Amino acid sequence: MNQETPILEVRDLSVAFGPLVAVDRMSFSAQRGHITSVIGPNGAGKSTLFNLVSGALRPGSGAVLFDGADITRERPDRLVRRGLSRSFQITNLFAELPVVENLRLAAQVLESPWKALLPTSASKRTRDRVEELVERFKLEEKRDERAGFLSHGEQRRLEIAVALAGRPRLLLLDEPTQGMSHGDTLDTAELIRQVAQEASIILIEHDIDLVMNLSDNVVVMHQGRKLAEGPPQEVRGNPVVQAAYFGTQVHAEN
Amino acid sequence: MLESTPLVQSTPLVQPAKLGRVAAYEWSHRSAQVFIAAALVFTGVAVFVGDTFFLRLATEALIYAGLAMSVDLLLGVTGMLSLGQALFFGLGSYASTLVLKHVTPSFWVAMAVALAVGTVAGAIGAVLSIRARGVYFALITFGMAQVVSKVVYNTRSIGGSDGIIGIPVIKVNLLLFEVDTASPAGFFLLVLALVMLLYFGLAYLLRTPAGRVLVAVRTNEARVPFLGYQIRNARFLAFVVAADLAAFAGALYPMLRGFVSPELMYFNVSGDAVVTVVIGGLGTLIGPIYGSVVITALKSIIGTYTDHYPIVIGALFMLAVIAFPNGLMGAVDTLRARRKGGSP
Repeated sequence: MNQETPILEVRDLSVAFGPLVAVDRMSFSAQRGHITSVIGPNGAGKSTLFNLVSGALRPGSGAVLFDGADITRERPDRLVRRGLSRSFQITNLFAELPVVENLRLAAQVLESPWKALLPTSASKRTRDRVEELVERFKLEEKRDERAGFLSHGEQRRLEIAVALAGRPRLLLLDEPTQGMSHGDTLDTAELIRQVAQEASIILIEHDIDLVMNLSDNVVVMHQGRKLAEGPPQEVRGNPVVQAAYFGTQVHAEN
Repeated sequence: MLESTPLVQSTPLVQPAKLGRVAAYEWSHRSAQVFIAAALVFTGVAVFVGDTFFLRLATEALIYAGLAMSVDLLLGVTGMLSLGQALFFGLGSYASTLVLKHVTPSFWVAMAVALAVGTVAGAIGAVLSIRARGVYFALITFGMAQVVSKVVYNTRSIGGSDGIIGIPVIKVNLLLFEVDTASPAGFFLLVLALVMLLYFGLAYLLRTPAGRVLVAVRTNEARVPFLGYQIRNARFLAFVVAADLAAFAGALYPMLRGFVSPELMYFNVSGDAVVTVVIGGLGTLIGPIYGSVVITALKSIIGTYTDHYPIVIGALFMLAVIAFPNGLMGAVDTLRARRKGGSP
C-alpha cells in the first residue's frame, strides 16, 4: 500500500436502531501514522461509529475500508488478525485473571496457529511482548494481581495495553481517560503519544484540551452526522462547530 | 461529612479470592500428587488385607472422576453447563463393550474406538448445542442425552433395556507387562494412571494459547472476539475434548463391571457429575477427582441402608454449596491461607 492510502476510510456509513438513526451517512478518513480524534456531544454516535468499524455492529449501509481493503461486516476476530484493534469506554477486561494473563491472551494472537497447543511459556514472542507492555504501562507492581483488583486508572491503562498487545496497525481508543483525574489524564496523553509511534490511532475523547494537544486531525460528530473535519485549530475556530458543540456546552454550564 | 473521610472505600467490589484457578496450578499439582500418594497407600493396604470390594469401588470412583473432569472442562473452565455429559460416557462404554465382545479383546482398540466415537458424537453434539447459551445450552445437552438413551433403550440388537452383559475379562498389554482387568489392584492402578494422565493433559491444555482462550470465554466472553479469537471455535474445542474425556472414562466402565446398560446415559449420571464437580471445586480439574471419591463413597455407604441415596446426596450438595461455595479445593485453599496468616 502506498503512503497516500488512508489507514481507515469510512464511506457513507449508516446504522439505525428502530427509528433512531445513530450514525447517518458518516464519511471520514484517518491517515497512517496520525492520531485522528472523533469528538462530539454525548449521543452524537461516536461509540456506535467505533462499534461499526470494529465489527461489533453491522452497518445498514455504507462501507469501511481498512488500508484500502473492504472490511464492511467483517467479524471482530478477523479484524484483529488483520491489524485493527480497539479498547472500550467501559473497561472490558478479564477481571478474574491476573494482569499478565490479560496481556498474554491479547499478545498470543501474534503466535502462529500451529502453536496453539504448545505451552505459552514456550513462546518467546508472547512472553517478550507481555513483559514490554507491563513495563511501558507501569504495571510491574500489579503484574500478578487480578485485573478486577486494580484501581480505576490502572484498569484504564491495562485496557489500552490489552488492545495494543497484538501489534495492531490501527488502534481505536474509546475514551481512554474516562473517569480519570487530571494528573492521570496527562500521563495517559503521554502514553497515547508513545503508542502513536507504532500504530495509527483513532481516539474518542471528551477532554477537549487533550484532543487539541494530541490530534493531527479532528472529526466532529453531531446527531450521527459529521459536522466538521480538519486540523485541531481549524475545527476549534469553525463557527458551526462552536454553535453546535462548544456552544451547547457553554449553555449547559450556564 | 469530615473531609478526611474517603467517600469511596478503595476496597475492591469483586469477590475476594475465588480459588486461583489458572494461577494456582502449582498448588493443584500438589493436590494431584497427594491424591496419587494416598491412592498408592490405599492400594498397599487393600492388597495387604486382601480386600477386593473397596478396590473395585475406588476404581469406579476414578472412572466417574474422568466424567466429572469432562464436566469441569465445560463448566468450570469454559463456563458451559452440560446436563447431558453421560451421553458421551455411555457411548464410550457401549463402543468399548461392542469392540471387546464382538471384534477383539484388545484394550487399546477398545479405547481408540471409544475415542473416535466420542470425537464424532462430540462434534455432532457441538454443532447442535454450542450456539445456545446458558439454560438453553443446558437443555439441549439434556435433550440429546435423553433422546440417545431412549434410542439405545429401544434398540434390541444392542441389548435394549437389558443392556449388554458377559463382557470378557481382558489382559491389557503394557509392553513390559500385562494387567488383568479382573485383578482389583492391577486394574485400579491402571485406571489411576489413566485418570491422572487425563488430569495432567488437561492442566497442560490450559497452559497453551488454545486453553487460555477457553478460560477467557468463561471470564469475559464479550471481549474475546476483540482479542482475535472466535468464540464458536473455543466452545467447539471445549465440547469435543470434553466428549472425548467422557467417552474415554466410559470405555473403562464395562472392563470394571462386565456389563453396560442405557442407564449409564441417564440424567442421574449427568447430574451426579455436575454435583461432583461443584463439591470438588469448579475449574480446579483435581477437585472433581476428590469429589468423585467423596460421592462414590457416600453412595456406597448410604446405599447399604437405603435405595434413596439421592435424597442424602442432594441434601449434602445443598449444604456443601452453602458452606463451601468453592468446593473441597476452595475450602482447603481457605484453610491454607488462614494458616499462613494472610487474608484468604
